Amino acid sequence: MNDLKTRKKAGVNALRRRLGKVQIPVALGMTLVWMMLFKGFQLRPEALGTAAVGFLVSVGIMMLFPLPPISPGFRFWPLQCVRLFFYVLGKMVVSSFQVTVQVFRPGPPVKSSVVAVRLRTDADLMLVCTAITVTVIPGSVIIEVAQPEKILYVHVLGAEDEEEAEKAKENIHMLEERIVRALGTRENIADLEAALAAGKGSA
Amino acid sequence: MSDQLVTVLDWAAILCLLAGSLLSFVAAVGLMRFPDLLSRMHTAAKPQILGMLLVLVGIGLRILPVEETGVFDFGTLILVGLFQVVTVPVAGHIAARVGYRTGRIRRDLVVTDELAERLDSKHRANEGPEPDPAQG
Repeated sequence: MNDLKTRKKAGVNALRRRLGKVQIPVALGMTLVWMMLFKGFQLRPEALGTAAVGFLVSVGIMMLFPLPPISPGFRFWPLQCVRLFFYVLGKMVVSSFQVTVQVFRPGPPVKSSVVAVRLRTDADLMLVCTAITVTVIPGSVIIEVAQPEKILYVHVLGAEDEEEAEKAKENIHMLEERIVRALGTRENIADLEAALAAGKGSA
Repeated sequence: MSDQLVTVLDWAAILCLLAGSLLSFVAAVGLMRFPDLLSRMHTAAKPQILGMLLVLVGIGLRILPVEETGVFDFGTLILVGLFQVVTVPVAGHIAARVGYRTGRIRRDLVVTDELAERLDSKHRANEGPEPDPAQG
């Protein structure tokens, strides 16, 4: 009898630990995805039920597959996010045209370079965001990430000399700056601005 | 919604769909024309992303005037776009990394290569003063 009681207690404790792993913001994000999947954004009584079930499902997922929290997380700067969105969209259109030209250009095959870009913010999340965005923009693919040094190695299509490689580097730095300003925490932005000021001082 | 507006939306949707499929076609041609793995990665992953986003926008414009769309609506389109944009780079990165590390790239097409410098110096540092016979 006593054995059963202690085991029950251990079970409750384990459950409580698992519940502690649930991160409410992430659960809310997953609920949003759930609502999108099941047309939850219409004014009808079922929408409330969809939201509730979605929330329960996301809490369940996070209890089954607990993940460490993302530190230091991110902040959402609406105005800068809109700017980032249009910047990336514009870049995508322009570089799509460039890649199209390179595809149809007759003559010898197009050359490219591999450039190393050192990022100026320390957060992993910013590194990931920058890497994904660089890859989404046509003409550049990440082939290697050096983690502790936070260097991205990028393959740039059509960068046939040093000058163009430098230009590609500048573009990626610009992109990083926009991403940090749109999604970074205050510390990230402070880091970035310090690096920018130092860069200007030395140049 | 008025008939005129629906017609305008239809034409916009047609333009988006056409542009999207054109970009995917460019990607296919690039896949054939580019000589090595890394350049092909670009066309395989990229015009395809913008092309797919355009196709999604086209579909969205098409279903805008439709009242009853079944289980399929804007939410689904947004999710498709979002997850494509987030997951394609991951797959592309892995393919590029493996291709580079196993030497399946054409050196004569790469002008400056700053990663090779790093890997070389690391290799030398690993070997140390006394070269390991097992490595040679």
